[in-house]
Amino acid sequence: MRTSVPVFPAIDFTLNLIDRGRRLASLGVAVMLACTAAMQTAHADATLDHIKQSGALNVGIIVDGGHFGSLDPATQQPLGFNVDLAAELARRLGVKLNVVSVQPSTRVQFLQQGKADILIANMEYTAERGAILDYVPTPYYRVGGVAIVPRDSPIHTWEDLRGKPVCLSQGSSYTRPLIEQYGAVPKGFRGASESLLALRGHNCVAAVHDAAPLLYPLLRENAEWRDYRAIGPELIPAPSVIWTRKGEHDTVATLDPIVRDWHRTGWLIQVEAKNGVAPPSPALLALHQQFEKASP
Amino acid sequence: MSVHPVALLLHGFVDATARLGLDYRFVLSDYELEPFLQGALTTVEIAFLTIVCSLAAGLVLLSMCRSRHRLLALVARGFIELTRNTPTLIQLYCAFLVLNMLITQALQGSGIENPLKPFVWVVLVLSLHKGAFHAEALRAGLDAVPKLTLEGAASLGFDRRTLLWRIQLPLALRFALPALTNNMVELVKASAIASAIAVGDITYASIMIWTQRDNVLELMILILLFFGALTLSVHIAGRWIEQRLRIPGYGHQ
Repeated sequence: MRTSVPVFPAIDFTLNLIDRGRRLASLGVAVMLACTAAMQTAHADATLDHIKQSGALNVGIIVDGGHFGSLDPATQQPLGFNVDLAAELARRLGVKLNVVSVQPSTRVQFLQQGKADILIANMEYTAERGAILDYVPTPYYRVGGVAIVPRDSPIHTWEDLRGKPVCLSQGSSYTRPLIEQYGAVPKGFRGASESLLALRGHNCVAAVHDAAPLLYPLLRENAEWRDYRAIGPELIPAPSVIWTRKGEHDTVATLDPIVRDWHRTGWLIQVEAKNGVAPPSPALLALHQQFEKASP
Repeated sequence: MSVHPVALLLHGFVDATARLGLDYRFVLSDYELEPFLQGALTTVEIAFLTIVCSLAAGLVLLSMCRSRHRLLALVARGFIELTRNTPTLIQLYCAFLVLNMLITQALQGSGIENPLKPFVWVVLVLSLHKGAFHAEALRAGLDAVPKLTLEGAASLGFDRRTLLWRIQLPLALRFALPALTNNMVELVKASAIASAIAVGDITYASIMIWTQRDNVLELMILILLFFGALTLSVHIAGRWIEQRLRIPGYGHQ
């Protein structure tokens, strides 16, 4: 069984090294570490076993404010679209939910180190990610990126960003298309809040982040951002999926029918509305229609 | 088709490390290798600039502390305590995300572009932060100068300023050198916080690569070796200066 000791980042990092040290077996230094790791090697699907045995589902969620994941100011409890999804998963699995707050730049490490069993962190599917992790094939959302710029900015299309500094989060999937398609110069910050502050400090001409989870509500609801506007169309809109560690097929097989059921019943659309996510995602409606026809 | 020798070397490196289970394929992509090498250079630049500037800041803080103007001494002491007792990262965020934004907004009113780039902020914050530590190390050095030496100098008619610059400080510097070298090594390592505000140092370049490729371990090894080499050279330089400035008959060899 895979063990995880979420005590200090240093320990987690070491555990990660031990895990990955297996590949280093031929390097003398790593031999001992490799042995330790080999003894702990997981069988068929360690995650599902771990969830069942510990009676808790650890879900990595980005709790950075906004409708997808934030802290309730009154109770300090996490709430939001992704939290509702995680809670429903835990309920259906008959276990307790444990929300693990993650950052875009380190969420994959949290998952791989076993600190989180699954990620519901608005992490879109890309081929690169699909090669290193497994995922629940039915997406639960669709997210693309938009840029925000000051209202009086000369930038009106993505092409206008060529050669200009653009703020984003470290680990953002928009980095590559911004460089390769539009020739922009990405400036990666630890998280979206730092990136947005840097935009306000005029260190970039634009900031590029997820549209529905972050920028749309920001522009719509936050008076401080009244003088900013969004630039579309959405960059590489991609399905948000639930991520698991590589090889956790049983977990995936258990979760996929649940997500399909969410679409079939239209539950996700209700949760979206309940959490104030606007405009309603056309992708959710399409998925609902698609799965409504399918047998339960 | 001719193959460039460097490209050949890189391919050999990638293949050899691949056999160890390490993924260094990023060195074959110019789009990733170039920022990485540029990042290494940037880290060296930050380290060099902050070493020079922090020493200057340390000296200024020390002379303020020793000033006869009570207010000046008090301000310096307050600054030293504040910077020594707050995390560098928080200082950097406060300076870059708050102070810098306020400056930008203030200058915007008069239509001037803010000349302070993230790089400048990193050098500034790190220099002032470590300057406080240098000031403390130098203070210890100053206090270690024997009273008799100072009395002897005073009897020769040196005034306070000359006494400080010609007698006390040269001796204090020698006493403080091990602590200063230590601070410098810390400083080189602390330069990694530049990555937090998107200054393209080696850490930032690595983060940008590993978030796309998930080769954290591979890049960590590179960063480790790089910083190891950098701090080792700072250490060697420090020891060399210690040897050069050694007072014969004072302390052990």
